[in-house]
Amino acid sequence: MSNLIYPFAHLLGGLILICAFAMLSQRRLAAMITLYQFEAITLTAAAFWQGYAQHELALYLTGVITLVIKAVALPIGLRRIVKNFNIVRAVETAMPVGLSMILGVGLIGVAVWVVLPTTLSAVTLTREDLAISLSVVLLGLLVMTTRRNALSQVVGFLSTENGLVLAAIGMPGMPFVAELSVALLVLMAFLVVGVFLFRIREHFDNLDIAGIENIEKQGR
Amino acid sequence: MSIALLAVLFPLLTAIPLALVGSATRASYVNLALNTVTFALTLGVGFSPGNGMLHADNLGIIFGILSGFVGFTTSINNIGFIKSEQGRKSIRRWRLYHAMCQVMLGTTLLGLYADNIGLLWVAVEGATISATLGVSLSRTASALEAAWKYFILGGVGIALALFGIMLTYLAAQPALGPGIAAMSFTALTQHAAQLDGSLMTLAFVFLLFGFGTKAALVPLHGWLPDAYAEGPIPLTATLSGLMLNVALLALLRFRHLMSANAAAGAGAMHPGPFLLILGLASLFLTGFSLWRRRDSRRFFGFSSIEHSGIAIFAFGIGGPAIIFGGLLHMLLHTLLKSALFQALTKAALARGSAAPGNSGFSHLRGMIATSKQTGWLLVICIFALTGLPPSGLFTSEYLIISETIIRDPYYSLPLGAGLLLCAIAIIRQVGPVGFAPAPASAKPQKAGADVITIYAHLILVVLLAFAMPVTLVTLLSHIAEALQ
Repeated sequence: MSNLIYPFAHLLGGLILICAFAMLSQRRLAAMITLYQFEAITLTAAAFWQGYAQHELALYLTGVITLVIKAVALPIGLRRIVKNFNIVRAVETAMPVGLSMILGVGLIGVAVWVVLPTTLSAVTLTREDLAISLSVVLLGLLVMTTRRNALSQVVGFLSTENGLVLAAIGMPGMPFVAELSVALLVLMAFLVVGVFLFRIREHFDNLDIAGIENIEKQGR
Repeated sequence: MSIALLAVLFPLLTAIPLALVGSATRASYVNLALNTVTFALTLGVGFSPGNGMLHADNLGIIFGILSGFVGFTTSINNIGFIKSEQGRKSIRRWRLYHAMCQVMLGTTLLGLYADNIGLLWVAVEGATISATLGVSLSRTASALEAAWKYFILGGVGIALALFGIMLTYLAAQPALGPGIAAMSFTALTQHAAQLDGSLMTLAFVFLLFGFGTKAALVPLHGWLPDAYAEGPIPLTATLSGLMLNVALLALLRFRHLMSANAAAGAGAMHPGPFLLILGLASLFLTGFSLWRRRDSRRFFGFSSIEHSGIAIFAFGIGGPAIIFGGLLHMLLHTLLKSALFQALTKAALARGSAAPGNSGFSHLRGMIATSKQTGWLLVICIFALTGLPPSGLFTSEYLIISETIIRDPYYSLPLGAGLLLCAIAIIRQVGPVGFAPAPASAKPQKAGADVITIYAHLILVVLLAFAMPVTLVTLLSHIAEALQ
């Protein structure tokens, strides 16, 4: 089995990257949430695989947490928001999809170009894992910047967070991975609950955050 | 159990019982009692070396005492704030508010005493969440937007910081191997020369973006003026101002790792230029923004960005004397800015309410006519912010400028121009706020006894700069020597 460790870890990392990239091309929230769910399930598998490869119990724990909360609970919550707020329709993007995908390819290039030469001394697995996870982080941030809709920004942020967890589980023997991923989850859960609690829709007729310009005007 | 751990856990744990107190007024007194204990605990923290999780080095001790002190005086100021504001929000909101005051103080102390960089990150994250809850407290449309902006920008910032922390861990692998030591500031500092230089550079970029967001450095500052303007002043302006220090000190420590690594020829880039650019950008953007603000809380929020920029500029130049100046500047600015926000709270209350919409400069015109003491204190605080003597900031800014001239003369010109620009923009407000005729509707008010905290802050600002106790000088110069 040990000769399978690298290929399989890379396969899972690659799948996560594909999900993150596909998110850029999706205009509908429901599709983005489904992609996020796929991403989280793959991340679960990656965490279990790393737990097996590194013989680390904490990574299995990370996997279980990822599965329960990110692959099941958060998508349910997100879908409920979409349903309650009646925003199933296509969401407007701040940038044409084609352009954002070109930018996405560029960002992946940057991630590889930045990480691979700087990590020559690190273990091979970690190097490539790190390049993939940095790409996922950057793609998530790109999703956030190309969407005007608050909920799709949240989904982009959640994808960013998956990239971070992917990096953390690939670090050789890093302590507190489970604790840090829980701390991240608290933040993400707050974000999703926040959309509910803040009821942005009550104050602005959709989840469009163009209202931010309003406070800026008032401030002057 | 060490006192540092106690000082961190006490506010975090007492947040829960405090949230159960059924009356906002009573809760504000309990809050004062709790913060008094926390202040006493921070005073009692003795030097303890890093154990991989917490440490109390001189830097942590000094800024811990500062945070404890500001927490203590803010909770005195908070009593008056609650007394006149409590009718505006339901008791459930005030419970949340008081709990978040404690969480904010606890996470600030955790960030200051954290030896483990993961723990430092958790502290910053906790502070972000509690501040967001604070900003959204009034539930108005603009408050919600400000909270959302804070959460998204702060969230992205801390996500990047976490990536940087993982890269730091990876950079420490050749020297320290897997395990907890590679995440401890103490161990990292001892082995700074053996860290993987190029990885450390990459890590530093992420850390700079991450903690730079929390330190509100331009162009990552967008959340700060809104957060200061929309939340309740004691929580989102005074207490969360302490978090700027945590982020700045974290950057100072990481900067030290970088420059020690670069000095040993291990391949890290010198961090100076990064910090100098961000520092000057912060200084100049605020220099121009300050002219156009009509809301006092946004105005002083921008001034906080300016002072973060000055500190980071000082760290960018490097060398013991200027780092001493930067640390002194952070100390004095925190004392002064919290005094200013306390005075501002009192001034806004004297004009009816400290609600977010009520702090425009037009609301505060002619404060001296309304309340002699509050007005004069506010004027003195605003004047002191310019850095003109006898304000303590004069000493620290003078130190920073003169060291810049010695070490990097070309940078002294933009620094001086930026400082001047900000100082003129700030001093312009002194006249209208203090001496203009008060609006006809404003009734004269007596300032309460709690102005004594503002006096205490101001006296400290002058004393710490012009008659600095020898122990503090020794401690600060040891720190600056070690972190140069």
